Amino acid sequence: MAQPTGEFFEGLAERGHEPLLEKATGSIRFDLANGKKSQRWLVAIDKGDVAVSHKSTAPDCTLRSTEELFDDIVLGKENAMAAVLRGAVTVDGDPELLVLFQRLFPGPPAKAAGRRSANGGSGR
Amino acid sequence: MSAGVVKILDGNTFVVSDERGDIEASATDPTGLFSFDTRFLSKWVLTIDGERLNALSTDDIHYFETRFFLVPGTGTVYVDSKLSVIRQRAVGHGFQEELRILNHDEQPVKLTVRLDAACDFADLFEVKDALKKKGEYVTRVQGGKLVLSYERGTFARSTIIQSSTPAKIDKDGLSFKVSIEPHGEWSTSLDVATAQLGWGEMHKQLKRGRNGSRRANMQGSLDKWLDGAPRVECDWEPLQATYRQSLVDLAALRFSPVTAGARSLPAAGLPWFMTMFGRDSIFTSLQALPFTPELAATTLRELGMRQGSRVDDFRDEDPGRILHEMRYGEMTAFSERPHSPYYGCADATALYVVLLDEYERWTGDRKLVRDLEREARAALNWIDEYADLQGNGYVSYQRRNEETGLENQCWKDSWDSISYRDGALPGFPRATAELQGYAYDSKIRGARLAREIWKDPAYAAELERQAADLKRRFNRDFWVADDEYFALALDPEGNQVDALASNNGHLLWSGIVDKSKAKAVVRHLMGPRLFSGWGIRTLAEGEARYNPIGYHVGTVWPFDCSFIAWGLRRYGFKDEAATIAAGILDAAEFFNGRLPEAFGGYERSQTRYPVQYPTACSPQAWSTGAPLLFIRTMLGLEPIGEHLVVDPALPVGIGRLELLDIPGRWGRVDAFGRGRVEVARREHLRPQLGE
Repeated sequence: MAQPTGEFFEGLAERGHEPLLEKATGSIRFDLANGKKSQRWLVAIDKGDVAVSHKSTAPDCTLRSTEELFDDIVLGKENAMAAVLRGAVTVDGDPELLVLFQRLFPGPPAKAAGRRSANGGSGR
Repeated sequence: MSAGVVKILDGNTFVVSDERGDIEASATDPTGLFSFDTRFLSKWVLTIDGERLNALSTDDIHYFETRFFLVPGTGTVYVDSKLSVIRQRAVGHGFQEELRILNHDEQPVKLTVRLDAACDFADLFEVKDALKKKGEYVTRVQGGKLVLSYERGTFARSTIIQSSTPAKIDKDGLSFKVSIEPHGEWSTSLDVATAQLGWGEMHKQLKRGRNGSRRANMQGSLDKWLDGAPRVECDWEPLQATYRQSLVDLAALRFSPVTAGARSLPAAGLPWFMTMFGRDSIFTSLQALPFTPELAATTLRELGMRQGSRVDDFRDEDPGRILHEMRYGEMTAFSERPHSPYYGCADATALYVVLLDEYERWTGDRKLVRDLEREARAALNWIDEYADLQGNGYVSYQRRNEETGLENQCWKDSWDSISYRDGALPGFPRATAELQGYAYDSKIRGARLAREIWKDPAYAAELERQAADLKRRFNRDFWVADDEYFALALDPEGNQVDALASNNGHLLWSGIVDKSKAKAVVRHLMGPRLFSGWGIRTLAEGEARYNPIGYHVGTVWPFDCSFIAWGLRRYGFKDEAATIAAGILDAAEFFNGRLPEAFGGYERSQTRYPVQYPTACSPQAWSTGAPLLFIRTMLGLEPIGEHLVVDPALPVGIGRLELLDIPGRWGRVDAFGRGRVEVARREHLRPQLGE
């Protein structure tokens, strides 16, 4: 199992609640291919409460891609919505779940961090 | 765009053709069938026996449907044809075209009817910038269909063409051997469908059959839209025509993102801007609130769903930031452009909160305000945490994507729009004045929502404290004391970028202007340097960069003027608001009720008609919305508590204005206005009044 994807979902499971998903209820299944093997994650969302499993239950939204690409997405090296537009990630079912869920993916690594996000409002 | 071009559209699918209905796109020519920012047909040429046709007339039946009357033969002065050809085309998941040929002769005819088809699958960005393609083209004839495809890795787009009558299909088009009896008729129905892989539901397009009832649905939807809007009764006929045109154009500009289901929001404009824009969708929703409040609800939901959640320099994204522009084409898909979505605008985030509050004041929809509490708080947080680039307590902007990001992230987004009096351009970051106004207004409005709906009085008090502080500092730091107006911006050193511009009017709208300064500001807005007689120039005459046909440096923008009129009303300058309404509505009459994005800043007495800005796009959403906002400001409509207050001030030439069935928290109410304000008579204030 590829590390970054596993860590992403395990982190999600540990937190158990995501404020960014409070408007979402439903399940998303991630089918991630790696040659003949594949890993499957099912994220069940109930107004922000998330439960992560490997179940094969029929979801409200299925997302398919390669493991390699999904690793890049959870590392912020790839933008999920751009990947959807070019068909590298395919989506079946409720697109709203994906649009909400993709906000959990991080931005590009390194250089951007640190510099911003500090409150510059010293003038007030 | 050149004359003689015909445009029809549905959502972000549109066809631009010549007046014969033919499409012959070159690399840089914006004709074709476009959908989701991709050209799906770049050639579509009808011939009969190898001859092109000649257009007799073109009839725009609806915004989504056109009829072309044609005869064989081209280039001659006089046409004596025994044949009539009628192409009737409607947009929707591609387009459908009914082709009819009528034989007027007493002899039967045998004809070869041919449609040449091809596609370059250009991204809209490539059409604009004339870039080269990187993928492969595949054309095949399959199951009685012509399938044109383009593939680049996993990226795939296809156009599927089929006919209701048997055709001989080859890789360059469809041919029909046709025999028509004397006074007989032949017809076929052509279906051009677009397909893109990615979204599962779009997959199904490939399998789907021809599209029957869609046109009827669209007609029904337009009728319902028009029926649902309030009615205007007015003794000045052109206003009724302009109002109707605005409603029809607004219907055409409706756009449904894949997550919106049947709901829609206003896209920014045709043809380049049929997509979600933070700023344009919000401004247009504000203008349309008294008429079609559901647009605002969808705008708020959809923009909220895509609110920034991380720091991404390429997309100029921050947590809480409201998007600037969303695109679906190839260059976005391969991250050659940042529009998936792109966040580089500095105003939409504050305006988002402004719209949320204004929406609730009209509709009483507290549920949506509760649903979007997190988004609204994140937006307000963005203003302080991420937008204060200089640490001086003002919102400013500087792009982090230096290659394909936007340099100017305010509505005047052209390179030379922000200048000093002497024409010099300031460095970055730039803190333009109106951004501070929007920030102020969003805090005041956010405070109301916090107190009344989120039940968080401490947060409300904090927002009000911040707003008061911002207002105090702004009136000190931006005020150009020697000439008594607000500077266009502060530069990176904190000095005033001192040109006089229409932005002063937006400041009135936001409420950030000290009451004591309002009179001086209005004197400038209505003075000869800014007021052209038609409207307020974007930049004042006399400034070094002033140019009456400069995009943001002298032209008059109807949208800009409509918010300025709202601002004038806010500070009690009713007559002045009426004067601006009169000027722009007069101009609308010259444009047959469809206001362009911008028109020349020439003095009214000099040209006597408004000169359209050369490359402006039309219809454009916030120009379409301008007459709606002017109707609001002329009638002085203001929701106060559970009631709609009406305080009319009509310009000369309008004796009676009624807006009937205004939707809102009160159900439906009517507003009546009678002419009582005498606006100073100017030459040609209204065309029908003569001198």
